[in-house]
Amino acid sequence: MTDVSIKVTDLTLRFPVYGVDAKSLKKNLARVTVGGRLGASTTGATEVTALSHLNLNLRAGDRLGLIGHNGSGKTTLLRALSGAYEPDEGQIEVRGRIAALLDLSLGIDPSATGVDNIRLRGRIAGMSSKEIEDKMDEIAEFSGLGPFLAMPMKTYSAGMQARLAFAVATAVEADVLLMDEWISVGDADFQKLAHRRLLNLVERAGILVLSSHDAGLLRLYCNKVMRLEGGVASEVKDIRRLDELLAAA
Amino acid sequence: MESGQHMLRTGRRGTLFEFSMALRDLVTSYHRRGLAWSLAWHDVVSRYRGSILGPFWITISMGLMVLGIGLLYAKLFGISVAEFMPYVAMGIVFFGLMAGTINEGCETFVQASSMLSQTSLPMFTFIWRTVLRNLINLAHHAVIIVAVIIFFGLWQVMDVLPAMGGLLLTIINLAWISMLVAIASARFRDIPQFVMSVMQFAIFMTPVFWKPDAFPDRHAFLTLNPFYHMLTTIRAPLLGQEADGLSYVILAIMAVLGWALTFSVFAITRRRIVHFL
Repeated sequence: MTDVSIKVTDLTLRFPVYGVDAKSLKKNLARVTVGGRLGASTTGATEVTALSHLNLNLRAGDRLGLIGHNGSGKTTLLRALSGAYEPDEGQIEVRGRIAALLDLSLGIDPSATGVDNIRLRGRIAGMSSKEIEDKMDEIAEFSGLGPFLAMPMKTYSAGMQARLAFAVATAVEADVLLMDEWISVGDADFQKLAHRRLLNLVERAGILVLSSHDAGLLRLYCNKVMRLEGGVASEVKDIRRLDELLAAA
Repeated sequence: MESGQHMLRTGRRGTLFEFSMALRDLVTSYHRRGLAWSLAWHDVVSRYRGSILGPFWITISMGLMVLGIGLLYAKLFGISVAEFMPYVAMGIVFFGLMAGTINEGCETFVQASSMLSQTSLPMFTFIWRTVLRNLINLAHHAVIIVAVIIFFGLWQVMDVLPAMGGLLLTIINLAWISMLVAIASARFRDIPQFVMSVMQFAIFMTPVFWKPDAFPDRHAFLTLNPFYHMLTTIRAPLLGQEADGLSYVILAIMAVLGWALTFSVFAITRRRIVHFL
């Protein structure tokens, strides 16, 4: 537990954007047969640099808030930290069990029941069947969905879905918690519950990385903050200097 | 290394490194084989949710086809039903496994795009998911096989061991084909259509509904068709005949070469696949 850490060194991520046409085999075959005549416009994919030379070091107890405009690379960074992307340059190293709460609908099958979805999502999050069964009661209770757990997810409201997803996702024994702005789901009661559970989790977790546009929320959960702009990161600053970073916009 | 406790992603390149990362993906998928199984099982359950007979509907439709074709073609070709019906039954069921695993392979990564783009799950997990799902379906359709074996008394003559060997070799080969089309389909969206056409063509070019007696032994038309070898190594022993040893050899060579090719393609494209989606 003590060596929970996130270490990102000189991370650069480029996304090749394959145009709709570029996915067609014909275009590629045409390129081969016609040789270079089609010109540069059709060769290869355009690349978007999503993150550029980013450095980040976090240790147990760090709770980092990510701020930045839409498309500044916050979600990309979170996904990269969850291990979905291979860097083009640099390196990402995360020690500790990662729990990523990036997408509520991940692994959710709308036609399956709540209980089935808890099992499925738990499996995807890396829990064993036994772990899930052990935690089933706790998850069910926290979700507050009661008899609805035996109903298909498609009968749930968005808020109920969020409750369930949140309950499962936060049931994981995580050392590193990655969150994309979405804790603000559910009604007021649930938000209070969620808040308590999150604080609890964060205390246990060691590291939290939270992306948000809500300064109040960031002050509540984070002790450090970093600003992303066009894939370039600012220095990591103390949360008390959040206004400074916001003003820099 | 990837124990869930330690995650390392680097921009390091180099052929050897890419291969070792691809290998790590494979090893991780083995450690988390329970997940592939859960996903496959969930796929089957969810596809047929609310239906009483579930996957047995496909079994029933296959059974009807077996009955119809078995009776009609036996008459047309002038072969006895007792000889032709089990032949067609096994042909349809096992070709169903081949077509299913390969056709659904096209969707493997495309369907898993949301999971691949926000988790560090091994990519091989999704390959196993497709293969396992088709094996679960096969287990349902096996009812037809068991029925013809009992009804036509094949249990007296059949030789299970070589058939199992043939099935194993077939599955190993189907897995790499499935993975290869999965990668190709992620990149080029024409591939699924292409694969479907090929498989449709293959069902008529492979002795599924007809007997290859018209061809001399080891005729190129049969020898060059991989599906012929897959089918014959499973079916012939179950019918109490001996499959040509050459077919087993060809399947084994194909498995080795095919996996070498597929694994290389995977090693090279691995870091790009998530961006294809």
